[in-house]
Amino acid sequence: MMQILAVPFLRNILLAGILAAVGLAPWSVYVVLRRIVFSGAAVAEVASAAVALAVLFQLAPFPIALALTVLSFLALSRLADSSTLPPETLVGMIYAGGSAASVLLIAKAPRGEADILNILFGNILTVPTAMLWILAGVFGALSLLQYLAAKEFLISAYDPDMGRTLGIRVGLWNMIFYGALGVAVAVAIRAVGALLTFTLLVAPGASALCLTGRLSRAFKLALVFGVISAVAGVVLSYQFDLPTGSTIVAILAGLFVLSFSASRLRA
Amino acid sequence: MPAELLRAKDLGVGYGAHAVLHGINFAIERGDFMGVMGPNGAGKTTLLKTFLGLLKPLAGKIELTGAGGGRPLFGYVPQRESLDLHYPLTSLEVALMGRFGRIGALRRPGAEDVRIARACLRQTHMDAHADKPYRKLSGGQKQRVLISRALASEPEILLLDEPTNGMDINSEKAIMELLTELQKEKGTTVVFVTHLMSTIERYARRVALITFQGKLLVGAKSEMLAPDVLAEAYKSR
Repeated sequence: MMQILAVPFLRNILLAGILAAVGLAPWSVYVVLRRIVFSGAAVAEVASAAVALAVLFQLAPFPIALALTVLSFLALSRLADSSTLPPETLVGMIYAGGSAASVLLIAKAPRGEADILNILFGNILTVPTAMLWILAGVFGALSLLQYLAAKEFLISAYDPDMGRTLGIRVGLWNMIFYGALGVAVAVAIRAVGALLTFTLLVAPGASALCLTGRLSRAFKLALVFGVISAVAGVVLSYQFDLPTGSTIVAILAGLFVLSFSASRLRA
Repeated sequence: MPAELLRAKDLGVGYGAHAVLHGINFAIERGDFMGVMGPNGAGKTTLLKTFLGLLKPLAGKIELTGAGGGRPLFGYVPQRESLDLHYPLTSLEVALMGRFGRIGALRRPGAEDVRIARACLRQTHMDAHADKPYRKLSGGQKQRVLISRALASEPEILLLDEPTNGMDINSEKAIMELLTELQKEKGTTVVFVTHLMSTIERYARRVALITFQGKLLVGAKSEMLAPDVLAEAYKSR
């Protein structure tokens, strides 16, 4: 551990992992409870297509990816409420459309595919110090929003009719929720990659919800699982020369298997 | 304070462009204990949601006269099956939701809100279950927690959607006696929707009867449960 902290680029990897875990793990509780697990994956594909589009037309990729990620989440939330189709059908179509669009746009882009994929999916091994500040700022602001708007986010998902009866603007709070989630996903994908972002958006919350019957504890447990996985993943990947992002994902998956098994045994 | 809390004038209700009920004219008065009865799918829940402002009237209007002159404070008790049991919430956390409208945006519930929520659980005899997971309670206990949640909003009128659906006779008796007690002791106006004639017969004072023809008949229980009125109401189109 001390060896990792002594080397600047390894320290950046560790900090990026911890910041991504702290920023995304609490959202994962909402993502699991709201049953929007695959929305993250689908929207990541839209972000990919946006980056490929920006590269093709030589525009700044990150703002376009950020804008389209947020818009996709917002559109998904609105369409899921009003469509006659089940929400997962829309998620599936967005996933398929986004994937196809990014492949087609990359094929026509002037820069090399590997170059674009790096912009597209970020890499925890190459996180610059500036990106750490962005992660800290964005996730700090979003965590504050989550803390302050906890009751609005809860009632808007758990019992929207009751919320409206109480005078809470459920539609507005759902938009704020999905917009904030979109920002978190876009920033995290750029910093640590799509696979790790998607896993941090599901696994900590799923594991925590297996182990506790209290919502407040689920948020804390998810945070602990996320941070432990990030730290252990960076240390183990350094120790055994493994890909860092995938090691963190494997630990998160392992923790979920253990939590799920424990909940089954207890039941 | 005006006697009427709510008055429907030539009201039409439904989803989208599809009218379920039309030409509704009636009033809910302060201290009413009213049962809304009708066959499944007749529009009972739609009517309730229109009163709550969750659905817009397709025709006519609803005049609301709360204590402050405007919209009265509604305490809504939805069908308990409509709530997602994956949420790991305690009975107290569910009851606390009733305070959310009074706390203000971006503020967290304080000690006073918790005290009120606990007091409402006590009122429904659920204080011993305050820290138990809501999802592990029996149907009757869940219903009591949802009534506590509605009471925590300090409502002028309680609107309940099928509060005894799926319950055995003892649980139904306990819930309905609780509502009767609330109405008597606190003067809370109670309107409940049910498809069970037996519940109406035992507990309602006034009855709103939805007919198969999409009309709403309102009157005293003895009048609405008269055989000729019921025969006419349940005669299919």
